[in-house]
Amino acid sequence: MKCASFERASTLDCALKLAHGYGEKAAFVAGATDVLVKAREKDCYADRHMIDISDISSLKEIKIADGRIHIGALATHAQISKDEIIQKHAQVLALACAEVGSPQIRNKGTLGGNIANSSPAADSFAALAVLNATVVIESAAGQHCMPFSEVITGPYKNKLQPEEIITEIIVDCLSEDYRHAFYKVGRRNALAISRLTAAGVLQKDSSGAVKDVRLALGSVFPTPVVFSEITSPVIGKVPSSDDIARIAEKLSAKIPEIAGIRPSTRYKQPVAGNVIERVLTNLLGGPVS
Amino acid sequence: MSLKKNIQFTLNGEAIDVLADPTARFLDVLRNELRYTGTKEGCGIGECGACTIVVDNEAVNSCLLFMGQVEGKDVLTVEGLSEEEIGRTLQTCFIEENAVQCGFCTPGMLMSAYALLKTNPAPSREEIRLAISGNLCRCTGYVPIINAIQKAEQELNSNVDDDQKQEAIS
Repeated sequence: MKCASFERASTLDCALKLAHGYGEKAAFVAGATDVLVKAREKDCYADRHMIDISDISSLKEIKIADGRIHIGALATHAQISKDEIIQKHAQVLALACAEVGSPQIRNKGTLGGNIANSSPAADSFAALAVLNATVVIESAAGQHCMPFSEVITGPYKNKLQPEEIITEIIVDCLSEDYRHAFYKVGRRNALAISRLTAAGVLQKDSSGAVKDVRLALGSVFPTPVVFSEITSPVIGKVPSSDDIARIAEKLSAKIPEIAGIRPSTRYKQPVAGNVIERVLTNLLGGPVS
Repeated sequence: MSLKKNIQFTLNGEAIDVLADPTARFLDVLRNELRYTGTKEGCGIGECGACTIVVDNEAVNSCLLFMGQVEGKDVLTVEGLSEEEIGRTLQTCFIEENAVQCGFCTPGMLMSAYALLKTNPAPSREEIRLAISGNLCRCTGYVPIINAIQKAEQELNSNVDDDQKQEAIS
């Protein structure tokens, strides 16, 4: 691969110092599963100083702190999908990460890298959206946090500035009575780029009425969004099949509204409706299919 | 300007030191410089799994790995497989079950199967299918490959049982 230099940073501090030295010419490498594919197409890294951060162990930890789950940006998809804390309190993300690429890709690809690459078809995004993710960003100048929904500004576009590195992704730590669902539509089971993903979490009270519900679609909108105004009518009640159908209809109607009429809309809109119905039925304790 | 530098890692159980470009793909260094040509290149974009190797007991695509990222790692390629019991058993079972036709996907399939059995000694058929879901085969068909991995798992576990019986007797 053509690039100006390649250095391995063993600590975050070292990576930030290197990046500060190179300024706009710095580029970070984590799992390399996107970088090495992109580098084949054009010499887009020819003048870049590559900083390999894949070995910084402090950025691989997953822990609960201050009531939320802190996921190190270098945690791999495989690690997240098997992690006990995630399985228990943010299972929707484990389900999403288990759908990324192939076992080989999941062993290398990282959650931070997935966000930095900002593919509109990233499998983790709908799950991160329903978990109210916050992204922790650092540079030699300091640290700041940004809601995940604001980090992604469009397909392959984000608010990360040169020299900035994602160090942590903080997500809600949901109580164990939440149900989680994730559904992916791809052309085949493994290694498919998502055509559409749906992520949802739902909590019921003791009477069976909905206490909290959050739904998000991936691969259909330029940025990941949770439409709470569409799901809020079912809060406090036991939704009927009509309620579910109404949510599915309204949410899928957002596709042409936000993304415009595209060649795929005729396919995606009805499929999104069906997938949302399935996910909601599953979340309400109905058949899992 | 050459970026070449000395990079140390373990290859098939042996510590080595290679003067190589850290920005090269590990697959290219393996095949072209170290002449370990057992690992194949199919798609070059992480979709076919032909270049699968095992790094620190995990299956990864060597086409999506920088040479510089291998520093200090423990790498196993298909050439080192027969040094390990799991590897030897897999090789025999692939032959016995006719899990090899043209053979191009075989090194990658073996490495994915090895990584599975190393971390999950008694996988279900579904877990085997999942473990090789990142490896494409265009001629053998997957059933003989899955059968071979299942047979290897059964043989390895029966060896364990035999060892335990032997211990109990002695």
